[in-house]
Amino acid sequence: MNTPFETDQIEILAGKARKGDISRRRFTQLAVMLMGSAAVGLRGTPVLAQSGELVFVNWGGDAITAYDTGYGVPFLAESGITVKQDGSGPSEGAIQAQFESGKPTWDILDADPFSAQTLGKKGMMEPIDYTVVDKAKTREGFGWEYAASSYFYSTVIAYDATKFGENPPTSMADFFDVEKFPGKRGMYKWGSGMWEALLLADGVAAADLYPLDMERAHKKLEAFKEHVVGYWGGGAESQSLLMSGDAVMALVWSTRAKLLEQDSGGDIKFIWNEGLVAPGSMAVIKGNPGGRDAAMKFIASAQDPQRQLVLFNLIGHGPANPATDALLPPEDARYNPVDPANFAVQIPLNMEWYEANYGPALDAYLAIISA
Amino acid sequence: MRAIPRSSLLLVPLIGFMVLAYLVPFLGIMQWSVTLPEPGLGQYETALTDPLVLSVFLRTLRICLVVTVLSVAAAYMVTLIWVRGTPAQRLAIELCILIPFWISVLTRAFGWLALLSTKGILNTWMQAVGILSEPLMMVRNEFGVIVGMAHFLIPFAAFPLASAMRTVDERVLLAARGMGASRTRTFFQVFVPMTASGIIGAGLVVFVFALGFFVTPAILGGGRIVMAAELIYLRIFQSPNWGLGAAISVVMMVFVGGLLALLMRQARPSGPK
Repeated sequence: MNTPFETDQIEILAGKARKGDISRRRFTQLAVMLMGSAAVGLRGTPVLAQSGELVFVNWGGDAITAYDTGYGVPFLAESGITVKQDGSGPSEGAIQAQFESGKPTWDILDADPFSAQTLGKKGMMEPIDYTVVDKAKTREGFGWEYAASSYFYSTVIAYDATKFGENPPTSMADFFDVEKFPGKRGMYKWGSGMWEALLLADGVAAADLYPLDMERAHKKLEAFKEHVVGYWGGGAESQSLLMSGDAVMALVWSTRAKLLEQDSGGDIKFIWNEGLVAPGSMAVIKGNPGGRDAAMKFIASAQDPQRQLVLFNLIGHGPANPATDALLPPEDARYNPVDPANFAVQIPLNMEWYEANYGPALDAYLAIISA
Repeated sequence: MRAIPRSSLLLVPLIGFMVLAYLVPFLGIMQWSVTLPEPGLGQYETALTDPLVLSVFLRTLRICLVVTVLSVAAAYMVTLIWVRGTPAQRLAIELCILIPFWISVLTRAFGWLALLSTKGILNTWMQAVGILSEPLMMVRNEFGVIVGMAHFLIPFAAFPLASAMRTVDERVLLAARGMGASRTRTFFQVFVPMTASGIIGAGLVVFVFALGFFVTPAILGGGRIVMAAELIYLRIFQSPNWGLGAAISVVMMVFVGGLLALLMRQARPSGPK
């Protein structure tokens, strides 16, 4: 643990504390953990488990600081294993490329559960060790053979409040209505959530969405694409589309929507209505360099309600552990995708459909938007 | 046959490195293109007939041609001053060419984004001054991509042009003036043709570079301007079809190889006509 990194971590925490993102008590707790882990590192012969290293791959930008502060730092303190953050974005193809190289450099991934399942069935992922990772600490119905439920996020409509503040959009139909809400749109480049949005706007009822009518969705996309100014591939890009004013409305992750509202001082707001809720999960590549046991221990450590609360505060992750709900202050509930009030107006994505159909659907989608 | 001079043995480490680091992996890629997912030339057939691949190729060619013309034209004007200006002008131009050359491509792409986006510096200024009433969409489209790419490639065009301009014989220009040609006429009908080999060289260098661009179109194109490099990336990392990605790479290499062969022939000094 080198001093410039420590100093940087303290500065990030101090910044968050100053802004009021984390309480001063939390700041002190985390800072002491940082100092403590430094002392352990300096001793040379660690008392704790072997000092290895794990690489955690997430979607980049603000997620890197969030995961590091919330999970990486405390895990280092309790186990002596450094967790390095990699923001490359573990898409299904990227994970497959890592595995097929024969020497993966990634350990734990913030992956879509359906991707982890598809790749797991091909023998590329490590099954989750549910004797270490506690299934009781997750919500009913979310937990897969190759992916452990770690958070929830939604795809929501974020809009420029300076333009539409008086009369905000209220549904996906509004998002695709350029007469009522003139201006350019931003959409997700890798498809998930977009097909549902297109179908909802085209008049399909939420209960009738699955199995998705691909032809209908792509027909609508083809007709609408001239109004889309950009397709964002990563979280930071989605924020940039709205902050730079190039798009007046975009379908973004709720985690980034929260940050947008904060960073823009309220100029950019978002709505939960017809949001599309998806589970996020942690998965482990088979043959990961840091070792299967260390990876499972990390995933188990991330189930701690306090740590999930930090992630919620920093990046808006809906907590996977139901015990965290009690810790959330009521005024923050408006940012929580799995808060009962917000969850009621949203539509959950169907992971089984994605597991079976994502690949070809994405190909067709990319062919339309890149043509 | 002339004996190979001993000193050329010094090139062996470089050639060895190129073979190991470049040729061998490329042969691996060629193998992928004819063996994945099954042996045969099926992937090449797809690469040359699939509508998405073809539209990406066409878009790449179109954008690269426009960028080449713009870069070479802009570089020509800049290099003129660089080669034939006063010492002060020459120093200023040198800084203008070299400093952006040293700045990373990512920084430049984001710089263009900050400059040209709807709430960016240029739009805000133009609206404040009154030139525009509505912001103009200058990024996240082909225009932004072309601007970003041309800006990046101007120094690459400047160097071959500079060397061509330096070899221009002053006396020919004086002779033309002496025979009564105006300055404009001398420039367009004597000077420019004399630097023709430099122009063609610069054009080819810029075009070949532009073909491989990934970062600039990805950032400035709003995710919609998919060019050849990004298509290969998508086929390797997003919707894995490694055989097709490899086939597209090989097609691009063959195309670039052909262009470079053209460049070599151009660079060879022509014998007596």
